[in-house]
Amino acid sequence: MTGPGRSNNRRTEEQATPRMLVFACKWCGLIGADGAGKKRIPLPASFRVIPVECAALVEPDAVIRALASGISGVAVLGCHLGGCRFNHANHAALKRLELLKTLLDATGIGGKRLLLAFGTAHEDHQYAEVIHAFFAELKTLPSTDPWMY
Amino acid sequence: MLQKVKDITRSILAEKQADGVLGLIRGQWNIIQPHVFDNLRQVDNLVLEPKWLLAKMAMTVLRSSPEGYRLAVIARGCDERALTELVKRNQMEKDRLLTIGIACSKEQAEICLCQRPYPEKLDAGEPVAGVDPFADETTRDLLVGDSRARMEKWARLLKRCIKCYGCRNSCPICVCIPCKLEDEVWVETGVIPAEMISYHLIRAFHLSDTCVACGACQEACPVHIPLVALQRSMREALRQVYGYEAGLDTEMRSPILYDLFKKPAAGQILPDWINSLENDNES
Amino acid sequence: MNPEFIKTICPYCGTGCGLIVKVENGRIVGTYPDREHPVSRGTLCIKGWFAHEFVHHPDRLKTPLVRIGNRFEAISWDEAIPLAAEKLKATAETYGGDAVGGLCSAKCTNEENYLFQKLIRMAFKTNNVDHCARLCHAPTAAGMAQTTGSGAMTNSISDLAGADCILIIGSNAAESHPIIMGEIYKAVDKGATVIVVDPRKTAVAQNAAMHLSINPGTDIPLLAGMMRHILDAGLHDAAFIRERMEGFEELKNFLQAWTVERAAGECGIGGDTIRNVAEVYAKAKEAAIVYCMGITQHACGTANVHAVCDLAMLCGKIGRDFSGVYPLRGQNNVQGSCDMGGLPNVYPGYQGVSDPAAQEKFQQAWERDLSDKPGLTLTEMIGGAGKEIRALYIMAENPALSDPDVNHVLESLAKLDFLIVQDIFLTETAKFAHLVLPAACFAEKTGTYTNTERRFQLLRQAIEPPGEAKGDFEILCLLANGLGIDFPYIHPREVMEEIASLVPAYGGVRFDRLERAGLQWPCPDTYHSGTRFLHEHKFTRGKGLFVTPQYTPPFEKPDEAYPYYLNTGRMFAHYHTGTMTRRSPFLNRELEEPYAEIHPEDAQRAGIREGDRIRITSRRGSIVTAARISERVAKGSIFAPFHFTEARANILTNPVLDPISKIPEFKVCAVKVEKEPYENQGR
Repeated sequence: MTGPGRSNNRRTEEQATPRMLVFACKWCGLIGADGAGKKRIPLPASFRVIPVECAALVEPDAVIRALASGISGVAVLGCHLGGCRFNHANHAALKRLELLKTLLDATGIGGKRLLLAFGTAHEDHQYAEVIHAFFAELKTLPSTDPWMY
Repeated sequence: MLQKVKDITRSILAEKQADGVLGLIRGQWNIIQPHVFDNLRQVDNLVLEPKWLLAKMAMTVLRSSPEGYRLAVIARGCDERALTELVKRNQMEKDRLLTIGIACSKEQAEICLCQRPYPEKLDAGEPVAGVDPFADETTRDLLVGDSRARMEKWARLLKRCIKCYGCRNSCPICVCIPCKLEDEVWVETGVIPAEMISYHLIRAFHLSDTCVACGACQEACPVHIPLVALQRSMREALRQVYGYEAGLDTEMRSPILYDLFKKPAAGQILPDWINSLENDNES
Repeated sequence: MNPEFIKTICPYCGTGCGLIVKVENGRIVGTYPDREHPVSRGTLCIKGWFAHEFVHHPDRLKTPLVRIGNRFEAISWDEAIPLAAEKLKATAETYGGDAVGGLCSAKCTNEENYLFQKLIRMAFKTNNVDHCARLCHAPTAAGMAQTTGSGAMTNSISDLAGADCILIIGSNAAESHPIIMGEIYKAVDKGATVIVVDPRKTAVAQNAAMHLSINPGTDIPLLAGMMRHILDAGLHDAAFIRERMEGFEELKNFLQAWTVERAAGECGIGGDTIRNVAEVYAKAKEAAIVYCMGITQHACGTANVHAVCDLAMLCGKIGRDFSGVYPLRGQNNVQGSCDMGGLPNVYPGYQGVSDPAAQEKFQQAWERDLSDKPGLTLTEMIGGAGKEIRALYIMAENPALSDPDVNHVLESLAKLDFLIVQDIFLTETAKFAHLVLPAACFAEKTGTYTNTERRFQLLRQAIEPPGEAKGDFEILCLLANGLGIDFPYIHPREVMEEIASLVPAYGGVRFDRLERAGLQWPCPDTYHSGTRFLHEHKFTRGKGLFVTPQYTPPFEKPDEAYPYYLNTGRMFAHYHTGTMTRRSPFLNRELEEPYAEIHPEDAQRAGIREGDRIRITSRRGSIVTAARISERVAKGSIFAPFHFTEARANILTNPVLDPISKIPEFKVCAVKVEKEPYENQGR
């Protein structure tokens, strides 16, 4: 089936709390997220985590698609630069996504809707901090209403 | 300049350096259209104006012609850069392609806001100085300043999109098959305006390191969306951080794909004399 | 072998954009926009960019087909032409010439349409010639001829860019005429105000400064209310009315009855909105009215057109650069096929068949006796099939999808003694034919198209027709010879010369003058460079006439049993009956299956979710289609595009006709909507 109407119903969603999407690398970010959950660290409720093999597998297109679907912010979590399981793949992610930020800034959506963070598996407190800080930042950003039709 | 291009074309055809020369012809009743010149008589009717991008046509001509067929293209600066980029991306073979470089006039450069209105291999015409696109009022309005206001401005423009795929079809670098813009996973099908964020930003980002700012997309846009402006800041960032400009060099690879950890990441860089975006967002 | 680039004209809508097709080894392999074209200037819409895709489709008809029992058998041209001639002749002998009808086509060139109507009129001494303009702009031709004397767009497309106020009524130009929409955006960039009147929140409405979502079919109340306010506020152009108009008193009397409040009540919008819009329109220096099917496809279509013209003339916003009335013609050559006399009441150039002088002129030119009785219209011919019409010759039309109340059309077509269909694909109509003749598409023939701004443009042959298919021009000449009429033409240019000699307004049109940029008629002699806008110093009919528009509410209103309004229309990737676009892989990918738009609240009440299969039923039939839940339609309305043969929206539409122009009421009918039971959901 073709996908009509996907965009038409977006505005009915509650826009008050920013919705976040987290792409977490399976080797670091995801384990950190898991750890944060096990330790019962309080986290905002309106976000979802999508595990990925590596941060470099997050296509910039996927970030754009997420923003287009009404997500307010996208976080990409990878291993520390230099600590990537796949040589320097997270450098690739970093370069690409930083360039995407330029594009988002150019259109006024704002590069701040995209967060890149690097950490290791046991940094679960840091993970929670990143999520909280990003959440707080998203609240200050103007809504993308003009972009939704 | 026209005479010189005609002479070069004739000599290329006479010496069999190429089997055809792609350029513009002025036919009977003043009709101007692209044409593959293959005999000397036709060359009398060769013209150079208006600006008509031929790089994509050159690619399709080469693709459907037999092996060993060589094509010369009368190329402006942007055409030449697009062809270089296509060669670099293995869309055509370098040794089957010849360019006859012509320089653009000052007026044309100002219309296009072209930073490099001349090809690297210049055969005819006097090169004129490039124009700084960020000095242009409309471009600055779209790229610099309060992000909320710019978001609305862009939304108003992109909302017009009638999804003709003209920007993609006319772009000399857009060659992927299949194309993500056709896929309903990425861009909703069957409605206009095309999804504003996903259609336009996916297209823009795919061209981030290949766009040669030729303006073909903008010229093909029936609803006059300033599509080149969408690419300007990314091009500028790549130029400032890596000194990379698409299409200038056949050897230099895209910095976001190669030499990954040798150089820093580029982001949010615009000319110094403009208030940086960073400050605007914080205000 | 080097590829060739050949300039030609887009075969889709009336905008008439320039295409460059790339030909390799006798095949079209690509389309590029024409940067030098005066209308499109290097831009194309999605249909234009992929116009080459259907040309080499395997479904193309390659040989004549004759019906034997329930199947078709291929025959040669040597058998097909005598068969057609013999059958038509026999019908005319048995039942009289008026038992033969012909539908010419807005898809074919001017020359072909001219020959077609000449053939029918000469061979059978009947005026039963019509085409699909009956279903789109017949009210424009009739209504504007009455008010101004010329049933065509008054200005050029590029003039829109200079207007300060553009009032768009019942046109979704962004989907149907995208390149014209580009000109409107140019005006917007210069600061123009765009006001859209449409029950639906269309793509145009989303981009407009103001959107008036009026009740379906209440255009006359709205326009009357606006005119009343303009008169009351003294914003009308008194000098213009004094010098160039007649019938002002009657209009004034008519407007007495239409207070703004009454109009607002009928339209379902606020009175202040009407006042505001009226003031914006009347105060703008240059104001244009763009209208399309939303005005014409009503049972009061002609009156709607009258109201539109009245408003423009009341404010004196006609007959100069930029200001004017812009009816957007739907088909690439619908303007031309009307111009060429493809109508039952006029000869080429709108010279009336009942006018003895015109009849005399054409009798002399064609050396045959001609009928002075206006023929049957398309809707009447289809309705009378098997009764007063015994044999029908259809050239490139598809009434089995495009006409209202399709079930009835199909019954009628089956009743015909002999049906000839000449087309490029085996259309839904062709499946009913006794004889199918394979024709050539736009890239395979030479001729001229006239676009919506009255511009004659040259179509250049790029490739040869597939198989044994022949150009319509050639088929018509063969058939004429079979019927004992001498059509001595070798090239379409000779036909154009004959047209020029018979119609003063096209007197200066010659093929070689059209090569560069075409010519806009009127162009009376070979030194005339065409006319950018009409009615400059005087109207074509002399003085402009205010015709009082009589308001008839839509024939069917929603009631208990059928609680929704149904609106039909186009969507951007498909075109009319989909014969071409649905065979174009790229366009069909954009939308593969039929849908109907329904408002979220209505959907919730009926328990319909996105993508559910729903059954839409009217008093005439029902269709099953996918639901698309969208706020674009108003509450209580359904929108369905009519391109899809598997869910023909025209099964539902109401065949009630406008009394003057005989256009059916496509835009409004009452329907009910039910969700299909689970087993039919196809999940």
